Formats: sequence, structure tokens, C-alpha cells
Amino acid sequence: MKRCLYFFLPLVLLASAVGQDWVRGGTGLAAERIRLAAADFKPSTSDPKNADLSKTFNDVLWNDLDNAGIFDLVSKSFYPLQEPGQPSDVNFTAWNSPPPNTSMLAFGNLGVASGKVTVQGWLYDVKSQASPQVLGKQYTDTATTDAVRVIAHRFADEIIFRLGGGVTGIAETKIYFVSERTGHKEIWMMDYDGANQQQVTHLGSISLSPRISPDGSRLAFSSINKGGWEILMYSFDLNRMVSFPRFGGMNLSPSWSPDGKIAFSSSRNGYPNIFVVDPSGGNSRRLTNDKGPDVSPTWNRKTGSQIAFVSGRTGLPQIYTMEADGTNLTRVTDQGYAVSPNWSPSGQFLTFSWMRKYGPGEPGSNDIYLMDAASKQWVQLTHDAGRNDFPCWSPDGRHIVFQSHRTGSDQIWTMLADGSNVKQLTFKGSNTQPNWSWK
Amino acid sequence: MPYNDIDSEPGPLRRPLAVSFGLHLAFALFVVLYAAFIHRVRGESWGGGGDAMGATLVSAIPLPANPVQTTNVLATESKGLSKSEPTVQEKEPEAIPIPDKNARTKVKPEPVKTSTQRKTETVQPESNQIPYGEGGPVSGPYTMSAAGGKGGFGFTGSGGDFGSRFPWYVQAMGRKIAENWQSFDPRITEAKRVYLTFDIARDGHPSNVEIEQSSGVPAVDQSAIRTLQRISTFGPLPSEYSGSRLSAEWYFDPDKK
Repeated sequence: MKRCLYFFLPLVLLASAVGQDWVRGGTGLAAERIRLAAADFKPSTSDPKNADLSKTFNDVLWNDLDNAGIFDLVSKSFYPLQEPGQPSDVNFTAWNSPPPNTSMLAFGNLGVASGKVTVQGWLYDVKSQASPQVLGKQYTDTATTDAVRVIAHRFADEIIFRLGGGVTGIAETKIYFVSERTGHKEIWMMDYDGANQQQVTHLGSISLSPRISPDGSRLAFSSINKGGWEILMYSFDLNRMVSFPRFGGMNLSPSWSPDGKIAFSSSRNGYPNIFVVDPSGGNSRRLTNDKGPDVSPTWNRKTGSQIAFVSGRTGLPQIYTMEADGTNLTRVTDQGYAVSPNWSPSGQFLTFSWMRKYGPGEPGSNDIYLMDAASKQWVQLTHDAGRNDFPCWSPDGRHIVFQSHRTGSDQIWTMLADGSNVKQLTFKGSNTQPNWSWK
Repeated sequence: MPYNDIDSEPGPLRRPLAVSFGLHLAFALFVVLYAAFIHRVRGESWGGGGDAMGATLVSAIPLPANPVQTTNVLATESKGLSKSEPTVQEKEPEAIPIPDKNARTKVKPEPVKTSTQRKTETVQPESNQIPYGEGGPVSGPYTMSAAGGKGGFGFTGSGGDFGSRFPWYVQAMGRKIAENWQSFDPRITEAKRVYLTFDIARDGHPSNVEIEQSSGVPAVDQSAIRTLQRISTFGPLPSEYSGSRLSAEWYFDPDKK
């Protein structure tokens, strides 16, 4: 017996040293959403500013979680009367059984003391009472509405990151777009939920197709000046325009690759073709060589090894894909009028605007479509809702921002990538050509 | 005279005989007692008991099960993957009268032979199938199992308590897989579950994807493997978990569309 123990003991120790647990599970084809309750954060001090800030915090947190697209948020009317502000206050049975019947609970407290706001937030798995804590965070910042908004965004992103399978939330991302509200088409930016809209460029001409760089430090766009349409560059590190080479001809629709190269359409050789340049604008190479106008290149955001673009070489514009060196040209749309391709962060899907039936007698509508880049199978995402154009993926690959004319003027809208949960972000003036930041 | 002496006298042989008889008796008694009592007490811990390694080994290795026994219903509703036929009730072979006393040839017991043949035919399980009632993870019903993998099928070693400590991570895995599982050819209407095993590194990246049991339809197997190849991360493992990686056994159920 003892000898037996001596023989096996090293094996047992070895097994525990490797330290590897096993889990089992299974999956059907349908994914169900997580039921999540977000209790209002309780005030932890008696400062008079608490009320305003906690209302902002609770609203922003709720909206972020609601927009994430992976939660089934439990309506607040179902919540128990005793909402917790501390882990010791959590009444598990009140939350994990009907009416709330939630599996996750976000709660915490918020307090202002001497100009600083402190937020403590927890995420509890209330169905697993033995080890409920998934997340516990504390944030401190100056007691302003903006700071509280950022804290709420961060906390929401943490929750989404943990429960969403390692995909970072988008609550702190930005959307860049073209707005005409000052009388000129200028580049604007806003938070992903439409808040904090602010003007970026003040050129007084026409600026189009803003594209933010993968690291978020520079913004490329095309703008008209005395020499014609040129690619311009704005730096968010310096908060001013920075120089970028002028190529001559008409230069449109820049697009960043994941490693910072820029593809754009240039007619410097006569016909609009796709060119690629280094981040500095040097070392330019021509990828397409034909008469048909080639515009709107977009990189495969995961691999950076493919480019999709629009070409009118056969008549009406169609979507084509090619390798990043210009080989292996493939046409992916077979009919109608297809423009504005955008490649998903996973590299798997293309989204674009398509008028499938185009021409006299064909009451075509301009809608957003999703296409599996490998199989060319497509799905229509918008239906019967005016002209929709310029779709662009969110960095988490769960949302698409686009421009729609459904209210009678061009505005920016977002939706989940399955076409549901459509929300309007802009209301003032005419806002077009949205571009979602990479992170 | 010497006759009488030897017979009647309680001479030098009598005591040794008595002693010898007594010792033999004592020894026999000792043997019986040892076998019946002492050995049982000492031998009880043989091959198991407190020894963790022995216990898990026995429960984890899928012994080729006796089909008659496996018709026993386990604690799960899952019927497993293949079904053994009901046991054939055999009749007592009727006695065959010997036709001739002088006949030297042996009469072959034919009914008995045919019955044993039938038995071996029906019970022989396919080498790649799990016997009826033991299919799949015993603790893995249709809903997600958050319990740590313990015992059951395969070479899956000791379970650990990851599943019970971090059920939310296992659930997030399930959703991630479901989101990334693209449907296969819709003409495939019948396919079994496909079981995969894979490891998850600390950063959440899955690797070492292997088919543990095929669905029988290559397209479905492929779609399951592609799903895991498509997933770059499940999210970093919880920092409270001390292991260097997490191993998972996951099934894909094509019928649950």
C-alpha cells in the first residue's frame, strides 16, 4: 500500500503541477442571449451632486449594455425593491428566480466626496451562489458628467468583454462622419451612441469619406481644393492637419490597412484606379489597370491581404475583390448597382449598399446587404426604409453604422449586424458617410 | 511384552503427537481466521479507497462494457449514440434423445450454438462507438453543462472545478461557439453530435482541436472544426484560475437548429 502510494505520488503531483481543468459543454446552432439585470447604482455619500451623476451613470450603463447586442436586459420594473449597493446586499433568490429571473446582475454604488467621484461596480453571477463574482471594479475621477460617462462606458466594456467571449466592447469607440450642418461638408466625430458630437475639420470646402487609422491617431479623407480632389490627413496627436503628398488627378476614398498602408482611388494616369501607398504617402503602387472607374477600396481588416472595391468596368458599379497585390480579381455581385463595400473585423463578411434591380421600370431601393466573402451568399439587412448607403462595421463585428434617408434627410444610424435594433444617432442637418473607429 | 509397552504406555510419542495435532489445529485456525477476517480488514484498501489516482483511473477509463449491463438506465436521459438491441431471451435447449446406444458420433448441441452466434452478432459494438447508455458525457445533457468534467467518457483525466467556479466562462464559450458556427449544407438532415476536444490558452486562444467522435457526416465535422479555427479567443481565462490552460470537450448538435 505504501509502496503503491510512493509509486503514484509523483504522478499525482505531476498532474496537479500541469494544472489544467476540464470543462464540458455543447452547442446547437442558435445562441441564446444572457439575461442581465443592471440595478441602479446607489449613492454612497450624501453629496448633493450624487443624484445628477448617478442618473447619467445609470442611463449610460444601461444604454451601453442594451446596445451591446448580446444581452437580454431585464426590465427594471421586475427588480426587487431592495436593490443592492454592496456585495453583502445581494439577495440571490430574489434575483435568480422570477420575476427578474436573471443570471447576471450588475450593481454598485457611486459617491461624490470633495470633487471626486468614486464608483464601485460588481458583476455577479446570481445563479452560482458559491462563487458569484465575475467582476469587481473601482473607478475614481473628477465629479463631472463627462467623467461619469467615461466610467460607465468602461464598466460596460468590462462586462461585455467578460461575458461576450473576449470581444472588447465598443462603448468607448468613436464614429467619424461628414456633416453639412455648418453650411460646408466638414468632418465631424461623435461617441458611438451619438453623444459628444464635435467638428474636426474647418476647411470651408467639401470634405468626404473620412477614414480613421487603425491606431486612431490620424484621419484620412478626400477634399476638394484648387488642385482638385486630394487625400488629406488630420492628426489627432497634434490636433491639426498634417501634410500628405498630392498626387494630381482625382484622388478619392482612402482606406487604411491593418498595418497602416493606405489604398485609394486615383486618376493620375487618366482613369480612376486603385493605388496603395505607405503611411507617409510614399512608395505608391498601382493595383488595377483598366478604364472602368475603380473606387472605394476597403481592406480585409483581419488579414490585410485582400482588398474589395467598386468598379464600373462592366457598366453599372459592382463589388470586386482582389489580393493586396492586385492579383486574383473576382467579381462578387452579379447584378444591379452595388457600392460602398466595407470588410468586417473578422475578415469574414462584406457589407455594402446594393440596388439589386436597377433601371427604368425597376423601382429599386438602396439597401444594406451582408455577404459572406468566401461563399458569396448574401443577406439583406434593411428593408423598405429609403436610401441606405455607406455601411461600416463596428470594431466588435456586432454592429453596422450606415447612412439612411428614411426620415426624409440623410442621417447616421446604427444596427446590429443582423439588421435588428436600428437606432438613429444624428438629427441635425445632413450627416453622411460614417466611419467607425478601429477600437 | 514390547508390544504392550508401545500400545498402552503413554510413552514418548504421545505428547509429541498431541502437540503436533494442536499446532496443526492452531495453524489451520489461523489460516481460516486470517483469510476470513484479518485479510479482509487489511485488504480493503487494496487498489482504491483513499488513493486518488487509482480511483480516477478506474472511473475514467472506458472499459468495454458488458452490453447486458449497459441496458441499465444511467442517471441521465441521454440515450447515448448507439443502441444495443434488447437481450434475446434464450430458451433452455431441449434435451435431445440419444437415438442409438451404440452410436459413437457425438450429437452437436446445435440450438445452443446458434444462440451464442446470434448473441455475439448483436452485441458486438462498432469499434468507434460508445455502448448504449454510455454515450457522450454522462453529465452532458442538451443544456449547457457547467459542471466540471469528471469521470465519464474518454481519456479526459481529472476534472477540476473550473466549470463550477466560473460557469459564466463556460456559458460565454457556448455563445461564442454558437455565434461562429455557420450552418452547413441544408440538405444534411440527419447527423449525430460531433465531439471535439481542444485546449484554451490563458489568453483564450483555442488550440489542439481534435475530433473525439465524428458525427458521421464529414461536412458537419468540418463545420465544427472550422468554427474553432474561426474563433481567435474566448476571452482570457479568469485571473483567479491558476492553471496554465483549460481543456474542453465540446459537442456540436446539428439537430438543434
